[in-house]
Amino acid sequence: MAGGIKRREFLKGTSMGALGAGALSGVGLVSGAGAASKKEIPKGPVRIAAVSFLTGAAAAPFGIPGDNTFKMMADVYNQKGGILGRKIELKSYDEAGGADAQVKLARKLLMEDKVDVILGYISSGDCKAVLPLSDELGGLMVAYDCGSHELLEGEKSPFKYPKHGLGFRSAAHLGIDNIGMALMIKKYVPNVKKIAGINPDYAWGRESWRVFEVAMKKLFPTIEVGVTLWPALGSTDYTAHITTLMNSGADIVHSSLWGGDAVTFTKQALGMGLFQKTRMAYSRGEPYPQEIGAEFPEEQIICCAGTHYFLYPAHDRWPLNKWFVEEYYKRYNKYPTYPCYHAYQAFAVYKAAVEKASALVGGWPTPEEISAAMKGISVETPSGYLHIDQDHNGREDVLVGFSKKVEGYPFPILDPKRMEVFPAHMVNAPAGIRTEDWIQSWKV
Amino acid sequence: MGIVYVLNGLYFSAFLFLTSLGLSIILGVMGILNLAHGSLFALGAFMAAWVIGVCVNAGPTVGMIGGFVAAMLLAAAVGFVLENTIIRPMYRRPLEYQLLITFGALLVIEDLIKLTWGGEAYYASGPFDMMGRVNILGGEYPAYFLFVMGVTAACGLCIWLFMARTKLGIMLRAIAMDRDMAEAMGIPMRKLTILAFMLGASLAGLAGGLMVPTSPALLGIGMEPLIMAFIVVVIGGLGSLKGAVLGSLIVGQTRSFGVGFFPELEMPVLFLIAVLILVARPQGLFGRA
Repeated sequence: MAGGIKRREFLKGTSMGALGAGALSGVGLVSGAGAASKKEIPKGPVRIAAVSFLTGAAAAPFGIPGDNTFKMMADVYNQKGGILGRKIELKSYDEAGGADAQVKLARKLLMEDKVDVILGYISSGDCKAVLPLSDELGGLMVAYDCGSHELLEGEKSPFKYPKHGLGFRSAAHLGIDNIGMALMIKKYVPNVKKIAGINPDYAWGRESWRVFEVAMKKLFPTIEVGVTLWPALGSTDYTAHITTLMNSGADIVHSSLWGGDAVTFTKQALGMGLFQKTRMAYSRGEPYPQEIGAEFPEEQIICCAGTHYFLYPAHDRWPLNKWFVEEYYKRYNKYPTYPCYHAYQAFAVYKAAVEKASALVGGWPTPEEISAAMKGISVETPSGYLHIDQDHNGREDVLVGFSKKVEGYPFPILDPKRMEVFPAHMVNAPAGIRTEDWIQSWKV
Repeated sequence: MGIVYVLNGLYFSAFLFLTSLGLSIILGVMGILNLAHGSLFALGAFMAAWVIGVCVNAGPTVGMIGGFVAAMLLAAAVGFVLENTIIRPMYRRPLEYQLLITFGALLVIEDLIKLTWGGEAYYASGPFDMMGRVNILGGEYPAYFLFVMGVTAACGLCIWLFMARTKLGIMLRAIAMDRDMAEAMGIPMRKLTILAFMLGASLAGLAGGLMVPTSPALLGIGMEPLIMAFIVVVIGGLGSLKGAVLGSLIVGQTRSFGVGFFPELEMPVLFLIAVLILVARPQGLFGRA
C-alpha cells in the first residue's frame, strides 16, 4: 500500500503539512508523526459522515444513489473487518439547505461530533463553501461528486497547490466531461459548423459551457457559437428553450443539465421534435437513457463523468465493475449511475489512504498523515484506476459515446462500437495550470 | 415559428394561471400568504404520477383522468386539514406568523411526500406519449400541451361562472372585498374560508398533476411554481380572476419570447415588470387598493 514512498520522506511531508495547516488555523496541530508512530489503533468505530442531497431535486438522481453506495460500501467493508479492524459507523446527512447550512453542519460534524472524515457534497457551491473549513478545523474532507473545476484551481496559471491541506476531491472535475466531448466531436463529427448550449444558470452550468466552448474553439477554430441558454435550476418547462434551439441552426447543442432538469428537457424535446433538428451532447448524460427508457433518442453524445458506466470497463476484463454493478443492483434494483461510482471512489480513497499512512507510521494516522498518504495515491475502483494528484484533485480517464438501441437492454446504451475512452492526460490539466489556460496551450 | 413561441407562452401560462389563481384566492379571501402552496402543487404531481403508474394496465386515458382527479382531491384534502389545524389560528395574525407557519407546513409536506413516495423520481409520461403531435402551420406540436391549455381554459371558465353566477361565489368575493363587513352581514365565514382554501389547494394539485406527464415528480418540484405564482399575483392583483389571467399571460409570454430573443435577461425582465407594477400600482393590475 505504501507503494514507492519512504517512511522518512512521508514523515517529513506530514510534519510540514501539519505545520502549514497549523499556521493557517493559528492553532498548533497535534501531529508530529513521531508521536503517531506510538499510537494504538482505537477500539471504537471509525466515524464517517456522508453528506448528500437526501431531499430536493438533486436527491433522486444523485444524492440517494450516492448515499446508497456509501451505505453499501460501509456494509461491505464492515463485513471484511472495517478499516484497520475498526468498524465503520456511517451516518448520512442531508446536503439540502444551501452553503450556509452546510458550513454549520460541517463545523458541528468536525468540532462536536468529532467525525474522522466527511465524505460528501454534490453541489459545487457547497464544496466551495465547506472545503476551506478542513484546514481551519483540522478535519479531513473528501468531496465526492461536485464538479466545479475552479474548486481546487487558482486564479492565474501557474498557481500554488494544494489549496487546502486537508481538503480533497476524489474525482476529476467537469473539465474531463467537456474536453472529452469536444475530442469526441472532433473524431466523429468533424464537419460540425455551429454549436449552441443549454446549461443551468449557476456555477456548474456556466463553467461547463466555458470549458466546452474553449475546447471547441481550440479544436475547431472556425466554429460558430450560436445561442446559449441559461434556464433556472429546477425548471419544469423548457418549451421556449427547445423552440429557440430548434431555430438556432446548431449542429450540436451542449448541455450540462442534470437530474430532473435533464429528464424534463429531454422528454419535452422528444415531443417537440428537437432531435430531428439537432444533436445533443450531454456532459453528464450517463444516467438519463436509463431514467427515460426506450424512447431516449439514439445518436446523442453522452459523457460519463469519468469512465463510470455499468458496462465499462467490460465485466470480463474488470471484475470489480461486475461485482459493483451486481451488488448495487441486488440491493437497490437499479444499475449504478455515476454518483454511485463517485461515492465508491471517496470511500475507497479514504480507506486506502488510512491503510497506507498506518503502514508507514503505525497506529491510527492523524488527519495530516492521512492527507499526506492520500496525495499521490492510486486506487482501484469499479471504473478503473483513480489517481489523486498533488493538487488534491482526482485524475481519471473519461468515457464518451453515442446512445444506441441494442437488443437486450430496455433503454439505449452507449454504442459498443463507438465508445471512446480519452486517457487522463488528454482531458485533465496538470497540477498548477488552470484548465482553460491548459486548453489554450494545446498545439492542434 | 412565432406561433410556436406564442403557444409555448400559453402552455406555461396555463400552469401559472392554475397555481396563481389558487394562491390568489387564498390570499384574497383569507388574507393568508400560503408558502405551502408549492407543496400542494408537488403533492398533486406525486399523486398523479402514482395513479397513472398504478393504472398503467388500464390505459393512459384512465390513468390520466384518475391521476388528475386524485391530484385535486388529495390537494383539497390536505388543504382542508391545513386550514382546520394550523391556518385557522393565523387569521388576523401578523404576516410573519403566517410566513413561519406556512413555511413549516411546506417542510412537513415535503417530508411527508418523501415518507410516502421516497426520494426517487416518479415518471408518468403515458398521457404525453399517447397524445402524440399535431400539425400547426407546418410545424409539429405536442397535442398534450394543447390539452393542458384546454383544461386550464375550462377551469378558468368554471371558476368565473362560480364566482360570478353562484351565491357561494358572490359571498367569496364579498369576503375578499371587505372581510369585516361580510362577517357583519352574516356570511358563514367558517364554511367559506374552508371552501376557498380547498378550492385554491385543488387548483394547485391539478397544476401539479397536469405537469407530471412532461416532467418527473421530484422532491422540491413545487418551488419554481410558487415563485412564479407570486410574480403573477403581484402583477395581476389579489383575489382577481382577471388579474390571474392577465398576469399569467404576461409572465408566460414574456418568458417565452425572452428565452427566444434575450435569453440572458429572461428572468430579470420578469422581476422588473413585477417591480414596476409594485411601484406604479401596488395592488396589481386588477387588485383593489
